[in-house]
Amino acid sequence: MPLFDSDFLKKLEYLSLVSKRVFRGSLMAQRRTMAMGSGIEFADHRDYTPGDDFRYIDWNLFARHNQLLLKRFQEEEDLHVYFLVDASRSMAFGDPPKFDFARQVAAALAYIALADLDRIAVTLFSKDILGDFPLTRGKGRILSLLKFFENAEASGEDTDLERVVTGFIHRDQRRGLVVIVSDLYDPAGFEKGLDLLRHRKYEPFVVQMYDKYEKEPDGMLGDVEMWDVESGDTRKVTVTEKNLKQYRQLFDDFQEKIRTYCNNYNLGCARSSTEIPFDELILRMMRVAGAVR
Amino acid sequence: MSFLHPGALVWALLAIPVVIFYILKIRLKRVPVSTVIFWRQIFDEKKPQSIWQRLRHLVSLLVQLFLLSLLVFSLAEPFLTSDSKNARRLVLVIDNSASMKATDGDPTRLTRAKEEALAVIRGLRFTDEMAVLSAGTQPTVVCGITGHQRTLREAIDSIPATDGPTHLAEAIAAAKRLGEEETSNEGSTTSSGKETEIVVITDGGTPDFAKLQTSDKIKFIVVGAKTPNVAITRFQTRRSAIDPIGYEILVEVTNQSDEESGPIRLAIKLNDNLIEIKPLNLKPNEKWSEVIENTTADGGLLIAELVTKGEKEDVPLVDALAADNVARAVLPVRLPQPTHMHSPSGNLFLQRVLEANPLVQLTQSKEMPKSFAAGGITVFHREVPAKLPPGQILVVDPASDCDLWTVGEKLQSPIVTQQEKESPLMAHVRLDNILMPEAKKLTFTHAAGKPSVLAGAVSGDPLYALIERPEGKVLVLTVHLEMGDLPFRTAFPILAMNALNFFNGGQGELRESLATGSTTSVTLATEATLRAPDGTEKKLPAGKLTVGPFDQVGVWTIDKDEYAVNLMNAAESDLRAPEDYPSSANAAGLVAGFLGRPVWYYLIAFAWAMAALEWYLYQRRWIS
Repeated sequence: MPLFDSDFLKKLEYLSLVSKRVFRGSLMAQRRTMAMGSGIEFADHRDYTPGDDFRYIDWNLFARHNQLLLKRFQEEEDLHVYFLVDASRSMAFGDPPKFDFARQVAAALAYIALADLDRIAVTLFSKDILGDFPLTRGKGRILSLLKFFENAEASGEDTDLERVVTGFIHRDQRRGLVVIVSDLYDPAGFEKGLDLLRHRKYEPFVVQMYDKYEKEPDGMLGDVEMWDVESGDTRKVTVTEKNLKQYRQLFDDFQEKIRTYCNNYNLGCARSSTEIPFDELILRMMRVAGAVR
Repeated sequence: MSFLHPGALVWALLAIPVVIFYILKIRLKRVPVSTVIFWRQIFDEKKPQSIWQRLRHLVSLLVQLFLLSLLVFSLAEPFLTSDSKNARRLVLVIDNSASMKATDGDPTRLTRAKEEALAVIRGLRFTDEMAVLSAGTQPTVVCGITGHQRTLREAIDSIPATDGPTHLAEAIAAAKRLGEEETSNEGSTTSSGKETEIVVITDGGTPDFAKLQTSDKIKFIVVGAKTPNVAITRFQTRRSAIDPIGYEILVEVTNQSDEESGPIRLAIKLNDNLIEIKPLNLKPNEKWSEVIENTTADGGLLIAELVTKGEKEDVPLVDALAADNVARAVLPVRLPQPTHMHSPSGNLFLQRVLEANPLVQLTQSKEMPKSFAAGGITVFHREVPAKLPPGQILVVDPASDCDLWTVGEKLQSPIVTQQEKESPLMAHVRLDNILMPEAKKLTFTHAAGKPSVLAGAVSGDPLYALIERPEGKVLVLTVHLEMGDLPFRTAFPILAMNALNFFNGGQGELRESLATGSTTSVTLATEATLRAPDGTEKKLPAGKLTVGPFDQVGVWTIDKDEYAVNLMNAAESDLRAPEDYPSSANAAGLVAGFLGRPVWYYLIAFAWAMAALEWYLYQRRWIS
């Protein structure tokens, strides 16, 4: 069954229509650029100073208050949305595989952004950057993007977000929204990578996903040979009920850690099990953002 | 220590795969995980610290090996030399007589006895052997010598309760023989040194119980208590000697107690109709007996029952033993006897004596009838036909010859000097000193065969004789009734009644009630069925045979013939069990206890414990 079938495209269209009603950027909590310029959207007033363009003087106010005030407009510019999609082997785990879910979510968000005339770029990563879909604009590019995603494989080694972000931020590109779609199973921790993005004035948005079996590994009880799909290492262990309890606690702590981090730094964050359809996650994100009810 | 099956030790080789599996750690279930971040924290950063947790797999291996070794040793069946030296051979004698049905043993003494027997079996060591005998109506080997406890238990369960008398002495003798036979069968090849011990479980309900303890190898376990009991100890009926339809009942009631019986009643019923009731209040150990007379031509079942006065009507007496509270007797029907008397001149003595018998339906004639009814009795007085008709015939004072005799001259001094006392025809009859003038000499013809002379004169001539013909019996009495004093003697009606009874062939005679444990002789023309009071049946072959011993009270039947069987045994009814004997197998020192079990039993028990420990360890690996 193809990953992006006609049904998927219908859902994209639906999500796009829903997002039309939304103020641009609300979905992903991005800000407009702070640059004042020649846009059409009024921002505020300031006192006139000699040399200013007379065209921007608010004559109505002058007539009422006999005070020269200059109208300021917000500069409009394209929003750059970068998608960092985790393609490590751990993303191939689960039923359905987390990578499928990640690609669907990333494609949907990208489509919404393209529909809003934003620019998007996609970067696949694991230990390093594995592949790029270059910065592009316009809904017409969606098919190319879907093809890119279809060809992508979750075959990378251990996730190293810091290393990947380091490579990413050193590129010559405009700041913008960085949507990280990953399970965030970074042995070194996900925080450093996100910190780097924040410090470089990017706006990270975290979409973290997990499989139900990761949350509740029932079949692990007893003497088992544990096989790490990411590294390929095996290990013979005896998993007791107590171990399972510890595991569940650690997993919950990890989820809580992601939530706390995003809250602390006011980052957008969506966490979900792959059991739900990707469009439901998008809608949920919209609801959280107040875009739909 | 030695092994019964040393070859089984080869199973110890199973330890090799156990160790190999431990070393190789058999292929485990492979479980993929997306990340080991969390598992690493669990297994590496929180490593078990205690020695126990580090060694638990090794301990588990050792437990498994120990468990295996226990199983292997138990398969090899180890035994101690002392076990074979201390082996016992027991012969268990269980009393299943009537008194063991007494309900003071929860529910009966026999049940208690079986429980004690099972305790003895449980207490057997694995080298011990035992046989089981019952000592009820007939001593029986219920199970031969065996060490198989389940067989012994089944044998104990199969011992039935009976109403028979105790035969402890015979059973003990049989037990001794059984032990001796077993010893001789073993011969000198064995060195087991087993001596036969006899264990008797009884309530002591037998005379001379104390004398049964003839050796210290005989141990008694006495079940039951000193329980009072009132019993019908005798119940017999007989025909009245003077009344053809009369009968007499001899009944005896005994209070087998050291206390008064209290007010009780003895009710006697014939076919459920009350014919007699006797209020009783017996002193300790008192015997009450009485002969009760009654008359009836009707037969039926006569039942004597001990009852107590109830609110509305008498209710059966409830005491520890029910079997002796009821006794039965069978009264056969007395059928009428059609009798024809021919006398040309008539004879009032003879007529009256025949009429006095209520069973006789008398007809008379003075002219010689041309024919005589078949099946009846014909009495000829003086005149006899030239050829006597078939059937039962009594001839008194024949005046003429016939085909069986010729009448001769008068006898001189016809005093009875010889009398056949054994004949039922002469029962209760004494003809001494009776004058019989005018008695004539009879000379029997060849057709009379060899007559039996029942009474003869001093000259040797017959005065009263029996001629047995194929077509019927003939009794001839050569006494002139008017001239002699025989009609004035009591012997005359008795003689006549004996003759009528004799012609009747014993039909309607009472059959005595039998005591349990007794036998009776019967002659069967064809194969018949013996039916016990509980409905069980047994085929009997034709011919003369002895039936019994009867082991149930009640009415037994052989086809249509009924036999009343009663307990009628004072010793069985005496429920006062002797108190100087142990009352349980434990008290008798017959239970070897837990330590009497074979070594493999303890090994298996220990193996269970090891299995439980391994299970615990296994569960801890999963759960802890």
